[in-house]
Amino acid sequence: MTAVIEARGLTKTYGTVRALDGLDLSIPRGGVYGVLGPNGAGKSTLFRILLGLIRPTDGTATIMNGPVGDIAHMRLTGSMIETPRYPPYLTARQVLRWLALEHGIAGTADIPYWLERVGLSEAADRKVRGFSVGMMQRLGVAAALISKPELIILDEPTSGMDPPGIQEMRALIRSLANDDGLTVVLASHQLLEVQRVCDRVAILNKGKLVREGAVSELTAVGERLRLSAGPVDQVLAVLGARGVRDGDAVLADIPRTEGPALIRALVEAGVEISEARWVGTDLEAIFFTETGAVQAPETIHAG
Amino acid sequence: MLVDAIRAEGFRLSKNKTALFWSLAFVPIISVAIGALTNFVLKGSETKLLGDTKMPPEVREALTRGTLDMGEALVQAAAGLANPLVLLFVLIGAATLYAGDYRWETWRLISARNSRVNLLLAKLAVVAVLALAAMGFMLVASVIENLIKAAVFDRTLAFSLTGEMAGHFLGFVGLSWLRILQFAMMGMLAAVVTRSLLAALFVPLVFGIAQFFTPNPLMQMGVMPDAWLAVLLNPGAATDAIQAAIAGGERAAALPDGLLLKAWVSVGLWTLVPLAGALAWFRRQDLSKE
Repeated sequence: MTAVIEARGLTKTYGTVRALDGLDLSIPRGGVYGVLGPNGAGKSTLFRILLGLIRPTDGTATIMNGPVGDIAHMRLTGSMIETPRYPPYLTARQVLRWLALEHGIAGTADIPYWLERVGLSEAADRKVRGFSVGMMQRLGVAAALISKPELIILDEPTSGMDPPGIQEMRALIRSLANDDGLTVVLASHQLLEVQRVCDRVAILNKGKLVREGAVSELTAVGERLRLSAGPVDQVLAVLGARGVRDGDAVLADIPRTEGPALIRALVEAGVEISEARWVGTDLEAIFFTETGAVQAPETIHAG
Repeated sequence: MLVDAIRAEGFRLSKNKTALFWSLAFVPIISVAIGALTNFVLKGSETKLLGDTKMPPEVREALTRGTLDMGEALVQAAAGLANPLVLLFVLIGAATLYAGDYRWETWRLISARNSRVNLLLAKLAVVAVLALAAMGFMLVASVIENLIKAAVFDRTLAFSLTGEMAGHFLGFVGLSWLRILQFAMMGMLAAVVTRSLLAALFVPLVFGIAQFFTPNPLMQMGVMPDAWLAVLLNPGAATDAIQAAIAGGERAAALPDGLLLKAWVSVGLWTLVPLAGALAWFRRQDLSKE
């Protein structure tokens, strides 16, 4: 698997604070990759180093197979770090024109396309000083895409957006990976969003990598079949020690391969099944376990 | 590429109408307005003024001379292009260019798209064009001012520009441009080091004012005005010496031996050292808020 980003022993200190502490990370080409971590975990510092905005105290990093800061390689990357800000006297269209010129793109043909893609066509000729945070985020994504990069790095792309906006952004990010073939690397605090949109994730804590893998693999650990079926006692009798009551339903601790056979056995035993679905450990639970962060009661859910 | 960065920076400035107004239009407009007002006031008092027997003959001649030579007026205007007012308002535009990316945190958008040296040099190139444009507007203002003067005082207009005068004109314009750029580069260094728009504006102005006060303490220390140290510490005096050399005649003849070389070295150092400092600092700078 080719890596678009490689970090080896990456360290960044600010005085006595170690924002990154010998981070080793390899982000493969293709798909959507999420970088998670509590505040101060080092996500933004990592992104800033990758984009050449700050220099690491120690360690090395490559981006698109080139050293960080090398413009030829950096030009294959688009980025949006935190909520972007722009000169307030420019319109959205002018922001994209300015950044395209900076990139050596003389034409303006793609600008309406990207404005439409991020849902800013109607606001294209409005000055950005009147934009909401969500609109700034959308423009930031368009600005990251204007140079037709192969890799796009987005820091909190849905920050400040309303629910429909978040849904649109999620669809856009998936589409960039699926339809445009881009590699998308994003950082987000919204774990459910990350679980929905990302293929792989890395969880950082205190500047170190604590967990990395495909979302499907991470959440498959401890996966169980949740059966809404009755009578419940009969379901539990069929399952024996592998079944546990979960309210009106039953959680069956069986591998996926045994699912169809179990369903057949339950139907033969006269059980009426209204719903059967696989539930795993959600990303949120993994995040709190790995980072040791305190989980608020209302955020705990079975997934 | 540098050319991409210049085009991008130029495009951005072209949309910043506030900076363009204050840097390019404000001083010429004020200059024309004050010039016109002065002419009208003088015209109103013309009879009284001409009746004053104590009036110096050159002022009397200026008031009564029949022909107004626009060529001569342009050469005179070119000699004063780097005046403090033009400098102040060009620096406002320059400070916006230099420090705007810190203010709006837009370095993170553009520093991944072009090399840092190119980005900073592009800003300087655009400031250089801005300064040229400001000087051009001032010359236009001077022409308008003189046209008003000619109309008010019923003067005949003439335009004579000999080869020597053209040389003086170009020399004065070039030197004024260099003088403005000198301050603009100090502003660039201040912007990069402090990340502040106000510092980009006021640090060069303070340096400019400080120059006027350096000769006296140096004299008290036994350093003559044409000594290396005095000239190196006072690029304003160095520029004056070069301007005298361009003007020729008695002013040039009065220049002490060797002063011109010292003057050029002083102007060169005050122009290039801030530039080199800004580039070196910016190349190593962390572009984050931490």
